[in-house]
Amino acid sequence: MIDSLCDRARGKDIAVAGLYCDFLTQQEQSVTSMLGAILKQLVSRGRIPEHIRQAFQEDRKGFGGRCLRISDLVEITKKAVAALQRVFICIDGLDESTPKHRRELLESLREIIRVSANTRLFLTGRPHVGDEIMKCFGKVVMIPIIPTQDNIRSYLEMRLANDTDPDIMDNELRVDILRVIPEKISEM
Amino acid sequence: MPSKHQQVTGNVNSFNNIINFNTEIDLEGREILLWLSPLEPQQRHQGVRTNRLDGIGNWVLETNEFRKWSGVEDGCVEPVLFCNGNPGVGKTYLR
Repeated sequence: MIDSLCDRARGKDIAVAGLYCDFLTQQEQSVTSMLGAILKQLVSRGRIPEHIRQAFQEDRKGFGGRCLRISDLVEITKKAVAALQRVFICIDGLDESTPKHRRELLESLREIIRVSANTRLFLTGRPHVGDEIMKCFGKVVMIPIIPTQDNIRSYLEMRLANDTDPDIMDNELRVDILRVIPEKISEM
Repeated sequence: MPSKHQQVTGNVNSFNNIINFNTEIDLEGREILLWLSPLEPQQRHQGVRTNRLDGIGNWVLETNEFRKWSGVEDGCVEPVLFCNGNPGVGKTYLR
């Protein structure tokens, strides 16, 4: 998705930021680091905006290093987004973050898009996080992802072509795999 | 003596590396980006891009929902699009 949006953004003043939630690094992915990761993609294209430099210098004067809070990042991001013509923020695998992080992240994003009609959010996750997203944003466009039989077949062909042990495959088995698996999956 | 400014061409911590931009990020600029977040989502993105199969999931881009959401009109559409599905259906690999 990020690449499709980047293709469209080519040559235009459109910024695309992406983030992958990761179950394995749940703890490391604090909400401030997730919001910061989005923000730094939005501002790293050119010269870093002065208000961010100032916030950085102020933070350095403080005691004990980085003191960025969620609310600080939301405010900085709002300003950064307002300076851009269009912004797409993509977040993959929301179900992989903890419920607390997810709630805080979604609420922060809601604050950011509330003040900016030029910002769009693209979210992916398992169906069960849909309720939380609806609760947070009110109205949401939903697209259920169900792989088409053709897509499943192409994927299987790729996997068979990359099989590390091709000798144990015969044509009959191959034909069966390509027929039965797409049928079974689309019945699910 | 090392130069304070280092010329960086191409991908400067952004997914927008398709756009060939040429920009100067000074030392403080790099410190600021690190201060904003230690996370580097583009590393995971490179892995996804390498393993993705062309054409898979393109139907999503053709849906009315997606077209409307990604369209240029401001303010008159829902800003949030949620693609949901069970594990393994390919949500991460939508192009």
